[in-house]
Amino acid sequence: MSIKLPNVALLPILAVFALPAPAVEYTWSGFGTIGWAQSDQPYKYQRFIDDHGSLKRDSILGVQLDARLSQQWSATIQAKLAAADHSDSSLEASLAWAFVSWRPSDDWLIRVGKIRLPLMLNTENNDVGATFDFARLPQEVYSISPLTDLVGLGVSKTWVGDSMDWIVETYAGKVTTPWRYYGREWTPVSPSPGSWFLDYDIKSAGLVLTARSLDNTFRIGAHRVEVSREGTKIGRPIVNVGGVYQFGDGGDEKLIVPLATIGASVLLPANIRMIGEYAWIKLDSSSEGLDRWGAYLSLSKRIGAWTPYVYYAKTKSKDGALSKYQTINNNTLPPPYTSLNPTQKFIADIIVPYDQSTTALGTTYRLTSSSLLKAEWSQANTGVASSFVDAPSGGDSSNQRINVFSFSYNFIF
Amino acid sequence: MRRFLLVLLICLPGVGLAEDALVFIGYGTVPKTEQSTLQRLYTGRVVSIGEQAATPINYPVGHPLRERFLAAVMGQSEEQYTGYWLVRRYVGKGAPPLELPDVDAVVSHVLATPGAVGYVPLSKVPAGGNIIFKR
Repeated sequence: MSIKLPNVALLPILAVFALPAPAVEYTWSGFGTIGWAQSDQPYKYQRFIDDHGSLKRDSILGVQLDARLSQQWSATIQAKLAAADHSDSSLEASLAWAFVSWRPSDDWLIRVGKIRLPLMLNTENNDVGATFDFARLPQEVYSISPLTDLVGLGVSKTWVGDSMDWIVETYAGKVTTPWRYYGREWTPVSPSPGSWFLDYDIKSAGLVLTARSLDNTFRIGAHRVEVSREGTKIGRPIVNVGGVYQFGDGGDEKLIVPLATIGASVLLPANIRMIGEYAWIKLDSSSEGLDRWGAYLSLSKRIGAWTPYVYYAKTKSKDGALSKYQTINNNTLPPPYTSLNPTQKFIADIIVPYDQSTTALGTTYRLTSSSLLKAEWSQANTGVASSFVDAPSGGDSSNQRINVFSFSYNFIF
Repeated sequence: MRRFLLVLLICLPGVGLAEDALVFIGYGTVPKTEQSTLQRLYTGRVVSIGEQAATPINYPVGHPLRERFLAAVMGQSEEQYTGYWLVRRYVGKGAPPLELPDVDAVVSHVLATPGAVGYVPLSKVPAGGNIIFKR
């Protein structure tokens, strides 16, 4: 297990929790998920899921401490233990949130520190399985953003209405976050299959409008992400030299990545809830497949302690990226250059293509007000390729059908 | 016969509640308010009443007064209210109201804490208590 040390910029916030107890009102809470997921395929799906099953994909344990310093000032830290974001083989204890809140009046909320971004409807609470019904949030949409947290400033303004509150949130900040790649033949450091992680320096800012009533939520957001790597150009072009694809010269010091999100959760007649979300990101780099859209639509209905649900999700990279992936993936070099063929798979994998849909059927069963069970069957179908799949050596991720069975116990305390 | 019926009505559980209505009390400077403001206060959507900063006080889950409060004032079930705060806490928008174990603790806290707001049966309002809302 590894421990991710907090950013030094967060130390003043952590110091709040060292104030004398009489000056501060503390409340703490915890959450967790023990989740088992197993597929019918021998290769890994979503990093951990294969036909042997895994607890690592969905299991998490977290604690949150809220400190109320006065009626206007408070501080929150949240720590979690889960699969590491920089390694497929270890657990990691990390600080998910650490921020100070200032609420000078009813309608303004200002937060400084490590905050989670208001991207999709459940991005902010996606670690807390007890707060939503899906066994896991549709990754076609929830994996699109290159970041979910940053260290910076978040400001929200609320207009309280009789039936609906309107909330405008804006944020800005930066974070260094790892991004996972998988090579089915090679990695940059080894001529064998495996994953590797590159740290990216990300600056981001965004504007989000949310309308929320007791039963319905609507959200739309526009975000600007700036991506760079210290001392390295990114987005080097892939070029064909004499029939061999390789990285060419060039690239950029930084990439500007626009991201758009929109979603709605609506209570229909007969107590049926419909949730739909859509995200789109534009990214001009050698990993052209990250330039993609994702969407899902779900229906659920609360029946006593049960909440059965169904959803359909899809994500797709732009056609040019998928076409380029296919061209490079199918590029077989003749003798005496056959030893270079794995490099073509490596270059193809770097494109990070997505063409996948998932249908899921599941249910939540509420044991108590603080614990629930979830069970889900989902079937993912890939098209040209899917980077959610760690494709087997000698094969690829195209035209795969992956059945996943998930069971989890979710709790708060 | 009429006297017998009157005695019966007073003694019946539930009928007596009308005599002991749930009222909201506030620290001395908290102004009178209305139900919709209290709904917003107890859901963290506002942090003041009028121009006064206000801090709501609640009872623990399962307390009979909390059940009456949720039904009569909030119009929510315990599960809805707890679920609301569960999400709100874990999106980083604050923690649910401080919970005190009984009426005496609520009264003591409200009398001593600037901005504090709580609810108690009418019969438990201390002499000179600042009633800010009564149904």
